[in-house]
Amino acid sequence: MNFESKIRQTISDSDKTIDKEQFINNLTEARFKHKLKRSQAFSGILAICLIIIVGLTSYFELDQGVIQSGRNYYFIDRNISYSDFDKDNYNNDYLLDDLAIYIIEEEDDIWTAFSFLDEIEFDNFINYIEEES
Amino acid sequence: MKKDRELIQDFQNGDEEAFNELVRRYLDLVHGFFQKLTNDEMEAEDLAQTVFIKLFKSLKNFRFKSEFNTYLYRVNANTANTYFKRNKWRNILHLDQTVEPTYDDNEQDKEWKKEELWNAISKLPKKQRSVVMIRISEMLPFKDIGNILHMSEGTAKVNFHHGIKRIKTLLGIVE
Repeated sequence: MNFESKIRQTISDSDKTIDKEQFINNLTEARFKHKLKRSQAFSGILAICLIIIVGLTSYFELDQGVIQSGRNYYFIDRNISYSDFDKDNYNNDYLLDDLAIYIIEEEDDIWTAFSFLDEIEFDNFINYIEEES
Repeated sequence: MKKDRELIQDFQNGDEEAFNELVRRYLDLVHGFFQKLTNDEMEAEDLAQTVFIKLFKSLKNFRFKSEFNTYLYRVNANTANTYFKRNKWRNILHLDQTVEPTYDDNEQDKEWKKEELWNAISKLPKKQRSVVMIRISEMLPFKDIGNILHMSEGTAKVNFHHGIKRIKTLLGIVE
């Protein structure tokens, strides 16, 4: 007997039959498990990507203008526009006029307010009052 | 009875029962191949299952460039190669379980165990291993083996010759 035949003889001693229907059932189950695992892995990867994107976005957003003082961090908003104060009159002079009116209205003693405006050499409002009277 | 080609086409059109019919038709061939390769019945069934799961995924894009039979043998050979690679690492990690050849006085007539034989086959280079595996388990002609493994008939013969020579050395058989 040549070597090839001897090899065949060695390996051919185990011809057991298999239950085909049982095998197909197991196969179907295995296929669904594979599919489920794949979709779970895909969802996991997607979730990780989302967390990374949200994390990086938050980090870069929060990091803008951070001021460290000791162990505390302070954040400032650089995007304050004049429109927040007065949408129609965003000119500097009008803003200061508004502030002056606010000071006068809030101060109990009007003369203290006037002397303050005089100190900071803000004459517009005083002139306006004088012209009115 | 429908031909393989028709069943594959039906499967490609969404009929999963056509795939099950293919499984019924080729299960003995695939399971028999892995039964020869391993002593463990469960492992043979697992490997057969792996082959059919691979087929389930790949048959959807099958373009009929080769016969389904040829394609199936190729998938078998690739799965067996993966199995040997996995076992190689397993043996490296559990050195005590590696099967060593047993020597007796009459080297020429000695009977080797199946594990010893497959252990020797697993040590062959991939091409030689694939040719030897298909030749000894399926007894296919070298022309068909060449078709399955994308090589000429002559190359298949040469690989088989070198493979057998190496197996003899590994099993300690003196010519």
